[in-house]
Amino acid sequence: MGPRILVVDDDTALAEMIGIVLRTEGFDPHFCADGSTALECFRTAQPDLVLLDLMLPGLDGIEVCGLIRAESGIPIIMLTAKSDTADVVKGLESGADDYMVKPFNPKELVARIRTRLRPSPSDVVAEKLQLGDLSIDVAAHEVRRGDRVIALTPLEFDLLLALASKPQQVFTREALLEQVWGYRYKADTRLVNVHVQRLRAKVEDDPDNPKVVLTVRGVGYRAAAPTG
Amino acid sequence: MVAGLGAWLATLPRPREWPSSVVRAWRRSLHFRTIAITVALSGTAMALTGVSVSYSVGNDLYQSRLRQALADSARATTSTQATLDSADATDPAAVQGLLNKTLSSIQTATSTRLVAVFRAPDQGFDPLAPTDFTTFGVAPGEASPKVVSDALREAVQNGAGKQFYQSVTLTADDGSKVPGLVVGSEIVFPSAGRYELYVGFNLSDSEQTLAFVQGTLWAAGVALMLLIGAVTWVVVHFVVAPIRLAATTSQRLAAGDLEVRIPQKGEDVFATLARSFNGMADSLQHQINQLAELSQVQQRFVSDVSHELRTPLTTIRLAGDVIYDQRATFPPATERTAELLHTQIQRFDALLSDLLEISRYDAGSAALDLEPTSLVHLVDDAIEGLGGLVGDDGSAIRLVAPGGWVEVEMDPRRIRRVVRNLVGNAIEHGEGKPIVVMVDSNESAVALSVRDYGIGMTEEACARVFDRFWRADPSRRRTLGGTGLGLSIALEDAALHHGRLEVWSRPGLGSCFRLTLPRVPGSDPGESPLSLPPADAGASAPDELIDGEVVS
Repeated sequence: MGPRILVVDDDTALAEMIGIVLRTEGFDPHFCADGSTALECFRTAQPDLVLLDLMLPGLDGIEVCGLIRAESGIPIIMLTAKSDTADVVKGLESGADDYMVKPFNPKELVARIRTRLRPSPSDVVAEKLQLGDLSIDVAAHEVRRGDRVIALTPLEFDLLLALASKPQQVFTREALLEQVWGYRYKADTRLVNVHVQRLRAKVEDDPDNPKVVLTVRGVGYRAAAPTG
Repeated sequence: MVAGLGAWLATLPRPREWPSSVVRAWRRSLHFRTIAITVALSGTAMALTGVSVSYSVGNDLYQSRLRQALADSARATTSTQATLDSADATDPAAVQGLLNKTLSSIQTATSTRLVAVFRAPDQGFDPLAPTDFTTFGVAPGEASPKVVSDALREAVQNGAGKQFYQSVTLTADDGSKVPGLVVGSEIVFPSAGRYELYVGFNLSDSEQTLAFVQGTLWAAGVALMLLIGAVTWVVVHFVVAPIRLAATTSQRLAAGDLEVRIPQKGEDVFATLARSFNGMADSLQHQINQLAELSQVQQRFVSDVSHELRTPLTTIRLAGDVIYDQRATFPPATERTAELLHTQIQRFDALLSDLLEISRYDAGSAALDLEPTSLVHLVDDAIEGLGGLVGDDGSAIRLVAPGGWVEVEMDPRRIRRVVRNLVGNAIEHGEGKPIVVMVDSNESAVALSVRDYGIGMTEEACARVFDRFWRADPSRRRTLGGTGLGLSIALEDAALHHGRLEVWSRPGLGSCFRLTLPRVPGSDPGESPLSLPPADAGASAPDELIDGEVVS
């Protein structure tokens, strides 16, 4: 069987339909219909990726997302019926890597899942990268400041790596969406904004005054030059 | 203080403007009008009273003075006649002395210096007769003083001993004219015949009394008028103040401040007014709140329905796509069914998201997500994204951008949607002719226009083109399967940016939609850099010379 996917959705028809689509594509879907049992399901199923509905009975999706993030950095894709800024941003801030607004089509769903499951971009030649006062071990998926290891989710690691692989080059939000999230068309650049904020919260000494991931106003982001 | 007074004076209208400012005050100020009417009416009444009082006082003074003068004169005449009768002077000097004596006794008795004695005419010469005498003062060349008129003399001469009088103007010692009275009667010298006796009375003291009375009346009148004016002002102020309060309260209510009320005091008519006004405001507030609640409930309902529909629609869409992907393995009829299912689910999907978007506008929860964006780049991208739709008809889309490269704060997601919508409409109604998209900017705005040379619209159609679910021609084929909400949403998107979306169209000549956005978010975009109607309003195809980048 292929990668395990945990589908947390209280609508059984939709969950079953997603299951059919996933099985056709060679995934191994597991299901959970209640927010309060989601964490249990997560622990027993040991999935490679979670599809999480935002509105759930018991605990809502945002709380479940926070609980899973506390234990693991595995990819989480939010499913939401609301595309309002506030809901999307709340979902992303609670730790989701990506979101899909209902109704979505199966190809899009599968494409997003595959993007999140694929290994980190292999075009990075170097095994070790230096970014500001951070050192990145590409093979070990590890980021250190001095001796201290900074825990990043795979997506955050990918984002940092994309920026670090070409230091001083400015990446537009669209370019990052394509490279890190696998979007081939114009999508919601809020994804990038929220994840850069989360990344900064982990890697910067002072997230309000960033030294590692810099904003280039009106264009996008770039990584700082290696120091030391 | 002087400077303040000067400043206050400077605010007063110049004398030339007084009539118009009075007219304005009359029209605008209830205070001014009421005071003016009250003062004018009471002034008229007081003037009438004053005149009649002054007249009757004057008349009374004159009559009493006249009676006194007549009595004095009569007494003097009687006593003089008695003296004359009892005297027996027989020589001219004695008669003259007698006359002088009687005259001085008359002057004493009547306390006037003005006395005249003339010998009555029609009597023969008498050597005993004393000469005429007067203290009135005779003008040179006159036989008798002017104040003793001929008519009076005639009346005395023919009056058979009766008293006659006449009002005259006397000349006082200092040369001033004073009113006076001349009383004439006849005396008879037993030895020298009939004489006319005239006694003049000075009425200046009566006149002074009258002048004083009149002066007092004037002063009292003016003071009373001022008092009436002031009292009226105070009364009007008390009456008008609650009206003013009611007026300002109504204004605030009309401006949307539904909480505002008039304080209720006492039991008078204003308390009634306040009570009815507050009652009206209560019911208005209640109704408006109810309506607002209803509208909110309705908006929430639309939003909830749209959200609730999304989950089953997702299942349907997934199922439809799975079936659609396997259509090649179905018999022909089922295969077509799968295709129809697929396209209609997509249409349903589009309709639902548009409906949700509209409900967000209606609920006022749509918010801008501003980003510095170059309109030219955005339009270029959006047209490229539509490239696939152009195929069949082959309508080339030409982008002409003399300006608009500058980055302006806008919500690119919404503006991209507007562009897609306008260009999509142009393709649908452009009958395969080229479509020209222009982008330009000026100091206050950036704008884009989408011009097609297709079927165009009538004016009535233009007026309704932004209405929800309105279609120019219901029988027309729907190439793009629009939801009928596209232009309504585009209009809302433009309005959210404080921009404008306008249309020009002529049947057979095509249409032109123009979007104008302010360069500074929230400001007024002012004049659009692009003209509407377009410069080539009468053309049926784009000018080949237009130098533009052919995007598709």
